[in-house]
Amino acid sequence: MFHRSLCRTVLSCARSLFVGAVVVTLPLCGLLINASSSAALEPTVSFANDVMPVLTKAGCNTGTCHAKAGGGQNGFELSLLGFEPLEDYEHLTREGKSRRLFPASPDRSLLLLKATGRVTHGGGVRLLIDSPEYATIRDWIQQGTPLAVDDEPSLQSVTVEPPDAKFAPNEVQSLRAFAHYDDGSTRDVTSLSLFESNDVGMATVDELGQVQADKVPGRFSVMVRYQGRAAVFAGSVPMDAVIEELPPVNNFVDQHVFENLRELGIPTSAIVDDATFLRRVTLDIAGRLPTQDETAAYLKSESETKRNELIDRLLGGAGYADYFANKWTTLLKNRRDAKSDLMSNFAFHAWIRDSLLENKPYDELVRELLAATGTVIANPATAWYKRVKDPKEQLEDVAQLFLGVRMQCAQCHHHPFERWSQDDYYGLAAFFSQVGRKPTSMPGENLVYHKRGVAGSINPRSRETIRPAALGDSVGQIGPDEDPRLRFANWMASPENPFFAKAVVNRYWKHFFKRGLIEPEDDIRDTNPPTNPALLSALEEHFVASGYDLKELVRTITRSTAYQLSSEPNRFNIADRQNYSRFYPRRVQAEVLLDSIDHLTGAETAFANLPAGTRAVALPDNSYNKSSPFLKVFGRPESTSVCECERVQSASLSQSLHLINASDIKSKLQVASGRVAKLAKAELPMEERIGELYAVAFSRPPSDAELTTAQAYLNESRQEKNGKPMSSVKAVQQNMQDLIWALINTKEFLFNH
Amino acid sequence: MMAVLEDRMSKIALLLTCGAAFFANGASAQSVCLPLPRLLTVTPMGAQTGRVTEVVITGESIEEAAELVFSHPGISAKPKVADDGKVMANTFVVDVAGDCDIGVYEARVMTRLGLSSPRAFSVGDLKEVNQTKASATLETVVPVDVNSICNAAVGPRQVNHYSFSATKGQRVVIDCAANGIDSRLNPVIILADSNGSDLRAERRGGVIDYTFDADGKYVVKVHDLTFSGGPHFFYRLSIREVLADTPDDQPVERLASTRSVQSHSWPPAGLPAKAALAEIEPNDTADQVQKIELPCDIAGRFYPAADVDRFQFSAKQGEVWWIEVASERLGRPTDPTAVVQRVSVKNGVETTDDVIELTDIPSPVKLSTYAYTYNGPPYNSGSTDILGKLEIPQDGVYRLQLNDLLGGTRTDPRCDYRMVIRKASPDFSIVMWGLHMQLRNGDRNALSKPLALRGGDTRAMEVVAIRRDGFKGPIQLALENLPDGVTAEGLTLGTGQSQGTLLVTAAEGAPRGYQMAKFVGRATIDGQLVQRVGHAASMAWPVRNARDEVTQPRLLVQIPVSVGGEEVAPITIAAKEEKVWEAKVGEKIKVPLIHLRRGEFSGANIGMKTFGAGFERNPKFDLPIAKDHSETILDLAALKTKPGDYTVAFYGGAVAKHVDGGGANAKPKDIAEIIVSQPISIRVLPAETP
Repeated sequence: MFHRSLCRTVLSCARSLFVGAVVVTLPLCGLLINASSSAALEPTVSFANDVMPVLTKAGCNTGTCHAKAGGGQNGFELSLLGFEPLEDYEHLTREGKSRRLFPASPDRSLLLLKATGRVTHGGGVRLLIDSPEYATIRDWIQQGTPLAVDDEPSLQSVTVEPPDAKFAPNEVQSLRAFAHYDDGSTRDVTSLSLFESNDVGMATVDELGQVQADKVPGRFSVMVRYQGRAAVFAGSVPMDAVIEELPPVNNFVDQHVFENLRELGIPTSAIVDDATFLRRVTLDIAGRLPTQDETAAYLKSESETKRNELIDRLLGGAGYADYFANKWTTLLKNRRDAKSDLMSNFAFHAWIRDSLLENKPYDELVRELLAATGTVIANPATAWYKRVKDPKEQLEDVAQLFLGVRMQCAQCHHHPFERWSQDDYYGLAAFFSQVGRKPTSMPGENLVYHKRGVAGSINPRSRETIRPAALGDSVGQIGPDEDPRLRFANWMASPENPFFAKAVVNRYWKHFFKRGLIEPEDDIRDTNPPTNPALLSALEEHFVASGYDLKELVRTITRSTAYQLSSEPNRFNIADRQNYSRFYPRRVQAEVLLDSIDHLTGAETAFANLPAGTRAVALPDNSYNKSSPFLKVFGRPESTSVCECERVQSASLSQSLHLINASDIKSKLQVASGRVAKLAKAELPMEERIGELYAVAFSRPPSDAELTTAQAYLNESRQEKNGKPMSSVKAVQQNMQDLIWALINTKEFLFNH
Repeated sequence: MMAVLEDRMSKIALLLTCGAAFFANGASAQSVCLPLPRLLTVTPMGAQTGRVTEVVITGESIEEAAELVFSHPGISAKPKVADDGKVMANTFVVDVAGDCDIGVYEARVMTRLGLSSPRAFSVGDLKEVNQTKASATLETVVPVDVNSICNAAVGPRQVNHYSFSATKGQRVVIDCAANGIDSRLNPVIILADSNGSDLRAERRGGVIDYTFDADGKYVVKVHDLTFSGGPHFFYRLSIREVLADTPDDQPVERLASTRSVQSHSWPPAGLPAKAALAEIEPNDTADQVQKIELPCDIAGRFYPAADVDRFQFSAKQGEVWWIEVASERLGRPTDPTAVVQRVSVKNGVETTDDVIELTDIPSPVKLSTYAYTYNGPPYNSGSTDILGKLEIPQDGVYRLQLNDLLGGTRTDPRCDYRMVIRKASPDFSIVMWGLHMQLRNGDRNALSKPLALRGGDTRAMEVVAIRRDGFKGPIQLALENLPDGVTAEGLTLGTGQSQGTLLVTAAEGAPRGYQMAKFVGRATIDGQLVQRVGHAASMAWPVRNARDEVTQPRLLVQIPVSVGGEEVAPITIAAKEEKVWEAKVGEKIKVPLIHLRRGEFSGANIGMKTFGAGFERNPKFDLPIAKDHSETILDLAALKTKPGDYTVAFYGGAVAKHVDGGGANAKPKDIAEIIVSQPISIRVLPAETP
């Protein structure tokens, strides 16, 4: 942030020194100002408006160079991206006995010698001698390194031209950046601006603002940054296919999705069949496979509304609460570090789970968490304060998880991509400044309470006490008797809050569609726009109007035709990755996969301290990852961060090897009370036995070809190790183990599609 | 192996010689504290009024218990006699009188070692069922009726299932008594549909209050919060119908509970059962203050969430008021806090200045930090309630705002309070518990031992007082109504002191027997002799490892003192002569001690400390336990003891070689025990004037 008033004060003090024949250094207004004979020239180069942009564009003040935390690089420190020009001015002109600048012979200034590589520079050549940027700095030095020039305008905003554009595949278009000042002037700052694409798979942009589109249809944005201000260019790459017909619209979600597809000319895939929908929505809502009975009943039903009925049934079941509690407790760091965490982790998980079961409004759930008081037994929400003790971590987690705002950067400096300052950061921290703790009768557990007092948090840079403020919004004066966290929760739950509802609907959208409308789902900012703003806005409005009803949110999403599209691409939408013209398959997550294998094999995985039959999605904390290599290999998170990215959803060789070779898979196939043992002994036609396996694994009957292949395999004879023929029952049993093993290893089983 | 043992024993001896605490690492349950009878389960855990119920008991050192005793005269028990005429071990027939009040009482058994520690026994008015078969799955669900109580225990990693029928519109309250009846269970109750799919869950010790929207069968599941289980994880599950139109803000009736230790200081003596005033809502803001006059006695509640109650009154400079609020001590999960502000209006603008902020009633003693090493009692006789002084700085209007520090997000109509603002009414309340020895291990066994004495035994009880409204005077402690052969010596809580000791001694030949004793404190307040009946506290369970187990302290309903009559104390330490040992101020008193040893001990010395007002500073000294006598010196000059009568006693830890049951062939077992001398009377005379 440019401190304009201070700058002007310094400027007025400094001007009087732009005379004289010798270099003098005087303390003035808290700064030391250099002056030389050459400074007699009327200054025209502004440090803030001219020099800093050059340094920023050259990359001098990035986090890996001279803006590196802890003192910059080799003793020369600049503020990140030039957010603190006064400090930068001091570092440049004063530090090292002013050795970096040589007004008497500007070209011999260390700054320029290093930047041009004429003196060894770890950062390499950043400026060319004959470049305009070099000239700007040289002129500034020659003019006596003024901090500001007469009537220097102040930067107000940055715009990009054009603000949006359509691209043909592989087309290149140029962007121009303009800086607008408070005196009404505008300057083309394209060459000094930083450009960044939000999706390099769709479009790239070079340092001069040349945008190169790829062939992938959809929307992308380019962030244009100049001196702490940013603008966003919205680009689109239409497919421009002829769309003769779109699927029927079930609700407003479809209106917005299909409207976007129509604009981009991307046809949808067909609507998915009942069996696939049953499996898909059961996995997505309840985190499990449909049972054989559920599959049979659903496929048999002729109700016209059976999809909606299924969704409601799933939302009414405990499976929904288990599955989404698993999601939330992981993000809320319900982590077991010590044996004594057992009680609080179980209680916290159960609290989330029970809240979801009774469909507690989301704003109320968050309020209970944020403003939790008491003991873990009396109020399990306080367990979060046991896990996340530091107020800074509390604000960062809350902002990222519930507001989709990443505030971490603003702890030390102005956020590089956003408007958040350190005052915004410590304003949020102030909400948590009155959290008191008392010891309890349980080792390691505290009683959390509101400690009376005026809330505030000290900004370490300014040393000012910052009162609670919610991302720039005033929440009013908070008296010493009021728990500021409640005021924060009120602010969050306000219908006008621009972050709260948006963050959760985007998170849930991603749960069902694999990709958030904003990606990453917890990085909501002006410079990271949604791919379908109208849809996100409509979802947000609907969620608020519903009373922050999470089940209604899930219902709305899953009832949409968009959710019910097939994952089978057509020749047009095969490249679509962000417009939801088809369902994007995703690997089933670790816990669900383990439960699914147990379900298919009829085995049970035993978990410490939990009753037999407990599903992996109902595990309360991360401690079970240690005892289950399966969960670890398939990426169950350790609950160390609030980022969904901690969960590994990608495939790996170790996962394949585990499914093929691991002893736990083998033992599940062979379990005495399992499905193989039961089916091998069952006096059923082979077709029915195979049908059961397919119904359980895929929620569908086998195709004729699959049936023939499976029958042939199951009827194959086998030999004992000693070469004698194996009994037919035993052979069928072993063949059936192989068949289930094969089913487990199919993509159809491993993916939700 | 022997070498290891010898090495260990020599270490123990060394520690004892050094007067340090000793260890019992990896020790078994009774390796700390000599065996004492502990009643651990009574099944079923309660009975219906006017009914006869068969109960089965389990416990430690309760073999051949022939008498089951209850804390209410309306409950009696006889040993169960089988059809063959033989008495069935550990089985009793309990008769609850029809006029017995509903509540939680205590059961104890008389054993060869005396009267056992208590176990809660509930009396209710609903039909009682005792679960006899497992119900760990939906297939083995146990049917129960609405308006009944099921007594059961849950196994480790198990969930118990019950089914009942309900009709559309019917409102049912499901309650589960566990911690409040001495169980180790942290109950989770879940209401599910007939398929076992959960509808509602309660895990915070509350109830499920549910109105059904369809006729049908429903299921209740019960388990421990962390799925622990076993016979000690028992509970009483109540499914009770309530009127459907009962307002939501009216608290539902709960199953009765034992009392917390904190509650010993409530109510103040003479407080009427019902408050004179009631809080009038809305009184949440400065514009809505409720005007009151002092003194006052107000009943209110912290409801709904984030409720703040504001009261306004006028007071004059120099007035002193005492503000006492009870809520936690009423058994509510609250932490009241009060702020008094002076209200000024200048030019039509109101300003407030803080006068005082009142929060907790601090524990008079440093509480345990739950470290491995015992470092203080885990009994908090303070409270999160309020008791404090308000001094009025100048004439004017004052505003008191009261809120619950834990109530920001909780809407619970149960969270009521009572606030009394009064002129100083100096008083005190007292509570005691068994003194624990300074051990470097996690065993807290001694905290749950009953006052069952061996002949020749002296037991020390730690006494704590909550002093009310600035009372600082000395408090004389006494234990009355003792069985034959038992005496008690209360060491006085000196001026301003809040911690002391009570010594209970059984004569060597004390006969077998028991009495419900009365614990009293006496003090002179405003020239009047005041007597207050105190309470005793105990842990519900012997804690083997304080790091892993949550202690469960509670108040006892009664204070039984008993003598088993079968075993004798391993040693009696007493003054050689039973007399008052006199000395003048500044002199030294030599007290010859006799050691009446009846068993063997490890080590040569016991490091002894001293009880007695002002004598705690007496340096620790070694008592040669292998010898029959010794001598100790009390340096009155060093202790700066003033003239007066005192009672002192010496105590320290030793490892006794105990033979359980006294059988000739039984193998001795090393048991760490606290050894307390019999009380010794001291009289300090004024120095002679020249």
